Amino acid sequence: MKAAFYSLTSCEGCLTTLITNLGPNLQALWKIFDIDYFKLVREPVGGEKVPRVDIAFVEGAVVTSLDRKRISQIRANSSFVVALGTCASCGNVAYSASRGVDLKRRRLRDIEIFEAEPLSSHVNVDFELSGCPVSAEEFTEALLRLLNGIEPKQPDFSVCYECKMRGNRCLLETGKACLGPIAMGGCGAACPSVGAPCYSCRGPAVEADLPAYLKTIRRHGIPEEKALGAMRAFTGKKIAELLKDGRK
Amino acid sequence: MGGSESVRDIYNRNGADGSGSDSESDSKSDSNRNVLNASGSGKVCSNADAKTKTNAKVRERGGEKEKESEVILDTNELRLIEGHGRLKVRLSGNRIEAEFHNLEGPRFLTAYLRGKPAEMAPLVASRICGLCYTAHSINAAEAVEEALGITPGEEVVELRRLLYLANNLRSHMMHLLFLAVPPIKNLISVLRLREKDLVEAGTRLLSTSTQLIEHWGGRSVHVPNVVVGGFGALVRGKELMESIQKIESLRADARKFVEHVLEMELPELERFRTMISLKADGYPTYARSAPLIINDGSTITDEEYVNDLEEVVREYSTSKHVYFRGSEATVGALSRIMLNRRRLNSEAREYAERIEWRINPFLMVKAQAVEVMHYLEEIVEAGERLSDATISPNGYPCMGNGKKGRQAEPSCFTGRSGKGIAIAEAPRGTLCHACEIEGGLIKDYRVYTPTAVNSKSIEMDSVEMVKRFRPLGGEKLKYVLEDLVRCYDPCLSCAVSLDFLSDRGS
Repeated sequence: MKAAFYSLTSCEGCLTTLITNLGPNLQALWKIFDIDYFKLVREPVGGEKVPRVDIAFVEGAVVTSLDRKRISQIRANSSFVVALGTCASCGNVAYSASRGVDLKRRRLRDIEIFEAEPLSSHVNVDFELSGCPVSAEEFTEALLRLLNGIEPKQPDFSVCYECKMRGNRCLLETGKACLGPIAMGGCGAACPSVGAPCYSCRGPAVEADLPAYLKTIRRHGIPEEKALGAMRAFTGKKIAELLKDGRK
Repeated sequence: MGGSESVRDIYNRNGADGSGSDSESDSKSDSNRNVLNASGSGKVCSNADAKTKTNAKVRERGGEKEKESEVILDTNELRLIEGHGRLKVRLSGNRIEAEFHNLEGPRFLTAYLRGKPAEMAPLVASRICGLCYTAHSINAAEAVEEALGITPGEEVVELRRLLYLANNLRSHMMHLLFLAVPPIKNLISVLRLREKDLVEAGTRLLSTSTQLIEHWGGRSVHVPNVVVGGFGALVRGKELMESIQKIESLRADARKFVEHVLEMELPELERFRTMISLKADGYPTYARSAPLIINDGSTITDEEYVNDLEEVVREYSTSKHVYFRGSEATVGALSRIMLNRRRLNSEAREYAERIEWRINPFLMVKAQAVEVMHYLEEIVEAGERLSDATISPNGYPCMGNGKKGRQAEPSCFTGRSGKGIAIAEAPRGTLCHACEIEGGLIKDYRVYTPTAVNSKSIEMDSVEMVKRFRPLGGEKLKYVLEDLVRCYDPCLSCAVSLDFLSDRGS
């Protein structure tokens, strides 16, 4: 089987997470797959050409004209496309940030800048592995499922579920605008465990109930605007869709 | 030396002969003049930055240039660097010009921060880079603290320094092991290295330093534990000490790795330029409001440094270049070593003494290797200091409002204003965050990354390289040029935070 790891506009934190957290297992990837393209690990075979592969892992958002070209080439040459990380699945901070600046004010010579979009705005994505950064364990699980011909699945619980398992004190009770109840879990409640409110870096949970959440935070005396502001920061597109549904 | 069956005979040739080029005998004396010309042409654009209106003119100029000049070398997308970049070398008339393109898309993170609550700065700034995230989040926290007049306790500073050290170690290992060393040895990937034990040693160092960050920061990348005012919480203090001990046990691995890098043969490309580094009590990494030292012997404050920086828009790059006093400056591991090597820890200093340090950008690889040893020693030392100050989760220094277990309430920043600058030595060099806060909201936020500062030097060194080694021919030269860029350890994701659309706040 052939696999490839691409990077579009991002901080490349997802690929470095895989590299450092897989550790010695990184080399095992080469035993399973034929990898012609792995940004940061090897020089690509065939230069800038996008190889034909079975599974393509793509990190990063689609921002530049080069990204747009690259993602359509990747889609055309790959049987299964996995969006790796929040930039690829939701657009991350760039989604909202690029909508707040005047992109036409100045132009560059050979590259054009567009509003940041997740991969799914441009091509069909087969599976999304959210997280800022992506978790190496989830990546491994998804990979094992794919190898065995089973559809990988996203976590179907919220951050609160894992937060409770770790025995943390609820941050909503301390008056912080934590997005845990409506945020997709799988991160092991990394932020609430160190006292930082969840800002939903993986997008909304599968059955996120926005009206109920807003009711809850009102009861705790947390200003609604604060929670909505945090919501819009990281998961751009998905939250925008959720907010639209919530208003209906 | 292993892997010396190099196609790029340039490495061997220069081991013996310093000047390197057999033709163009007058190239050295000539080069300085040409270099000056090159920097002169850059200034045209710098004016354009101040006045956006003149921008159309600049673009025209760029168009004209393209017609006249001929691209003699083009690396296409640079391989094995962080982000997407490209290097083009043009010949117009007799003058050689290099263009270091940043092709990474801007994510407008600093623009996004404007109008957002101050406590969001570390969270968003962290996303600038996936390799030096703690540097960005700690600098952001510090800049905001300075603006709001908050002074964190000594322990907080000490612990931040530890995080900084661990992150610098991780980033250096990542760069050396995966990006810099394999191509210099003419390999396409680290996995092809013949010395398997070396790869294992490097991987162990890499994953152990990542674990340290994970234990202390709460996550391996984009740590949530760094917040304005201190830390969110103490996480698993015992495990932190364990991971410090684990790092200590990797000394032999580090030695093996460092010695290997120090023995590598590198091309010779000496060229004088301004070099800048932080000046702290010890070897500089993270120090609050420390001055900076320049290689002419002078010292400047952080405020003077920021005032001397100038952002320059390039029509071919998504990130601005940053000039220091209207010209180039180089920051990074080599600057740190050249300006501070007396302050290195004992074992690292012994390694440093083996090398004859000159202003040759290729030596940055060796400088980083020496630093790997130093950071490891520093982490162990810091661990010893911290083990006395064993911190129980409750008494842990965080911005509380008296109540036990209650942490910094973001609302406590409401209505406060001020300006703040935070400078520290990130893996790739002097990183500067500057912010202005008004009424608890961020009014302006700027990040001057090492790569943005180094961009000009990368271009000028490429010109120098082409001048000296042109007889080698394009194909070979292209590889060495790529190696040259890689030695600077450029991070284009970082550099793009100073995107071409951002204007300096009034």
